[in-house]
Amino acid sequence: MPARTHKVWDPLVRVFHWSLVAGFTANAFLTEDDSPLHELVGYAVAGLIALRILWGLVGTRYARFSSFPPSPSGAMEQLSDIANGRKRVHLGHTPLGALMIYNLLLTILAIGATGYMMTTDAFWGLGWVEDLHETLVLWAEFSIVAHVGAVIWESRRTGVNLPRAMVSGVKTVPEEIKIEA
Amino acid sequence: MKRPFVEQPAIVALLIAAQSACAAFFLWDVTADGLVHSATGQLDLHFGIEAAATAALIGGILFEIRILTRLLRRKAHLEQQASLAARAFHDLVEARFDEWRLTRAEKDVAHFTIKGLSIGEIAGLRGSAGGTVKSQLNAIYRKAEVGNRGEFLSLLIEDLVERRPGPIA
Repeated sequence: MPARTHKVWDPLVRVFHWSLVAGFTANAFLTEDDSPLHELVGYAVAGLIALRILWGLVGTRYARFSSFPPSPSGAMEQLSDIANGRKRVHLGHTPLGALMIYNLLLTILAIGATGYMMTTDAFWGLGWVEDLHETLVLWAEFSIVAHVGAVIWESRRTGVNLPRAMVSGVKTVPEEIKIEA
Repeated sequence: MKRPFVEQPAIVALLIAAQSACAAFFLWDVTADGLVHSATGQLDLHFGIEAAATAALIGGILFEIRILTRLLRRKAHLEQQASLAARAFHDLVEARFDEWRLTRAEKDVAHFTIKGLSIGEIAGLRGSAGGTVKSQLNAIYRKAEVGNRGEFLSLLIEDLVERRPGPIA
């Protein structure tokens, strides 16, 4: 079956994605909680998010927020596709994927903010800040599990290998599948 | 036609999302508890109840996912039926127009008339003068042997009602 290829993710999007994976994994599981390294990685991750938000405003076509606005109706449409076995491929982010992106960007930004607060005199040693920081991390971990599960599910459902696209930047769409702009 | 609150797919989807977040938290909590308790060798009643409640919650979510799937399928089915019906009506109307030997321009004007557009709006859409549309409408009414828009419409609707079509494919 011939397939069509579409260049969708620019290098910045891909480097951002996998750097975020590395940074989050490092701080969630590897670095000591109170260490300078943990703080350093935290700043780096916050910087990554800031860069991505900027890129969402001025970046390439599929990197822009305007190409994947939060859309409840789009999300329901995608759920309906899943329920009805309709195969439709979105070249950029899918509506459900977009919701996950906003969730993760905001959650990780909030993790960075609460982490920074713990280093300041005003908030140092406050229980609720630390609790919030840890709860947000737990929420991010749940979200990431859901994200990975959904990516695998959608890859199998639509026949487009999404993880590979996030590495190569190219989506390979099977010939018989309809493409949504 | 507004569906009852509980049958709106979006509400069910939101409920599933919220309950999934809760279930993930409880599952994490109960697993962590289970690991601690089994290390100390005391799996008590409290843990059992927690585990059962979590399992019940997950069961409920799976059930809701089935309901959501069914709702979305039914909705898609109804939309498809509606679009088939719209197409059938369109075919019927086209057949009548051919029968009346309407010209291409008259057909356009007639379709806009069925959609409820005024003479001024039709003129705007077709880029022609209001007088032209008016005379085209008169030609349409004459060919259909009716006097005005109301009669014209009821003639077409009558077709639909009287034809008693079999089940649409």
